[in-house]
Amino acid sequence: MKKTRIWPWITMLLGSIYFFLPLIATLEFSLRMKREGYSLEAYRVVLADPRFRDTFSYSVIVAVFTILLGVLLVVPTAYWIRLKLPKMRPVVEFITLLPLIIPAIVIVFGYIRMYGSNSVLPFLGTSRGTDLLLIIGYATLALPYMYRAVDTGLRTIDVRTLTEAAQILGAGWTTIIARIILPNVLIAVLSGAFLTFAIVIGEFTIASLLNAPAFGPYLQLMGANRAYEPAALAVISFVITWGCMSLIQFLSRYAPKSATTPQH
Amino acid sequence: MAETFLSIKDVSKSFGPVQVVKNFNLDIDKGEFVSFLGPSGCGKTTMLRMVAGFEEPTAGTIMIGDRDVTNLKPNQRNIGMVFQAYALFPNLTVKQNIGFGLKVAGVPKAEIDARVQEMLDIIKLSQFGDRYPFQLSGGQQQRIALARAIAVKPQVLLLDEPLSALDAKIRVSLRDEIRSIQRKLGITTIFVTHDQEEALSMSDRIVVMHDGKAEQIGTPFEIYNHPATRFAANFVGTLNVLDAKVLDPRKGIVAIGEDKVDVGAEIDLSHHAKDGVVALALRPEAVSLGKRKGRDRSVTGTIADVHFLGSVIRMRAKVAGANLLVDTFNDPDQAPPKRGDKVDLTFAAKDLLLLND
Repeated sequence: MKKTRIWPWITMLLGSIYFFLPLIATLEFSLRMKREGYSLEAYRVVLADPRFRDTFSYSVIVAVFTILLGVLLVVPTAYWIRLKLPKMRPVVEFITLLPLIIPAIVIVFGYIRMYGSNSVLPFLGTSRGTDLLLIIGYATLALPYMYRAVDTGLRTIDVRTLTEAAQILGAGWTTIIARIILPNVLIAVLSGAFLTFAIVIGEFTIASLLNAPAFGPYLQLMGANRAYEPAALAVISFVITWGCMSLIQFLSRYAPKSATTPQH
Repeated sequence: MAETFLSIKDVSKSFGPVQVVKNFNLDIDKGEFVSFLGPSGCGKTTMLRMVAGFEEPTAGTIMIGDRDVTNLKPNQRNIGMVFQAYALFPNLTVKQNIGFGLKVAGVPKAEIDARVQEMLDIIKLSQFGDRYPFQLSGGQQQRIALARAIAVKPQVLLLDEPLSALDAKIRVSLRDEIRSIQRKLGITTIFVTHDQEEALSMSDRIVVMHDGKAEQIGTPFEIYNHPATRFAANFVGTLNVLDAKVLDPRKGIVAIGEDKVDVGAEIDLSHHAKDGVVALALRPEAVSLGKRKGRDRSVTGTIADVHFLGSVIRMRAKVAGANLLVDTFNDPDQAPPKRGDKVDLTFAAKDLLLLND
């Protein structure tokens, strides 16, 4: 082996150790709940805990609605910006980046102030209102990822010509978005959806300060009071996140191929 | 007498301060194939897009049949269109692409299936119905795009440079196919192109466009043989333009270098001449070397280049400081002249074109 080839391998090895060692340690620790040896006891305890099921299912439902809200908001917006207002793209991109600049805690304090039970719009006065606010907050947090994913998807198709081709064949805006644009950026939308899902499942700040029964605060609660269960929960969260990422990779194989580069 | 089906009256279009189409007028008969021919930026695509409804005219009206469609949306006009970039829907199969317009119109499935099959038969791609666009070649995709456009039985078919993304061989075969299908179905068609060969070979009439205006409207024969302006003459085909000094306008006598030439018609100085000089145009094939029956006008020149192109020999001669291209058929019994040879270049007065600027 040439000398110059060694360094990339060493770098990769060090990187892998840095990345995998804590994961392996967490996994190993989560299996040591029983003194007599390795077992899945911590996982059994976690999965048997009704609070786990309640908070996890609550977060999954919130994630689904967040994804729906995100898709309804982002797909038409990104499409319209590409089609009619290309000069506005930098402005919209900046707006969608704001959730990365403004910390979640600032957003949630803003919500509490704006939508508290004594305000004009007392969303926080009811649990449904809180759920709605939580979904809106999560859609905001996921905006940078969802917008970029959809915008990248739109970049792979000739939005303007496809729109005009559909229009001249008699299609209206709803048909164009639902039957032409959305199916062609579906994989991009799913990428955004899975990223949104991963964000919502692990989010703590907004859920905790809005006092929502979500999975993030439950993780924190367990982490503060138990030894082995938090490690098991961390592994479960990690598996869910990686599962989402794998699904993105898997589904991207089925993306509609661009017709602008024909076979021969 | 053929009836006018598509009427474009006094149409102008401005984008901000820039006027890209200027007072455009055209009547197209039912079933006619009309080409908009011109260089990039001449306004031909903008005019087509106004007919399609993608752009709204700043002034003027567009009528299809008895209907004023000027302010109608594209999906209300019943027009078919084929785009340069194919624009097939990547997520739909060939059959679904062709049937898209019919499905949007709410046509029953059985009827859609029958029409799609009919279209596939017309474009001879029946075996590709279940494929996706990315599995087809460029030529096949454009035929599918044509089938999709005509499946809805449009009143007017618009073709926006549909051949320019294809390679030369497919371009020629597809243009014949498009013309044959158009004739068979009798669809009124507007074809936008910057390729004069396509326009000349396919069209019933050509609109030569320049700087947002219709420079000349006529049959391919008229446009090629009797170009009305210097631009039309230069843009369509190869043309020699010689500047000639007017000696006797009433008798039509001019001087090209040392040679006096009778152009065979009175010269209207106010119309054709500028500072006593007229621009005379001659097609390369209208010029011969030496005497030829019917070609009784001549100028002297010096051969500068000879290009042997097989059946045709193209020569460039210097005449009064200008280049004059001469095309002659190859004669196996007669060798072409050599560079530097002095030659008599003959032509008929009727082939001389007096150009307007």
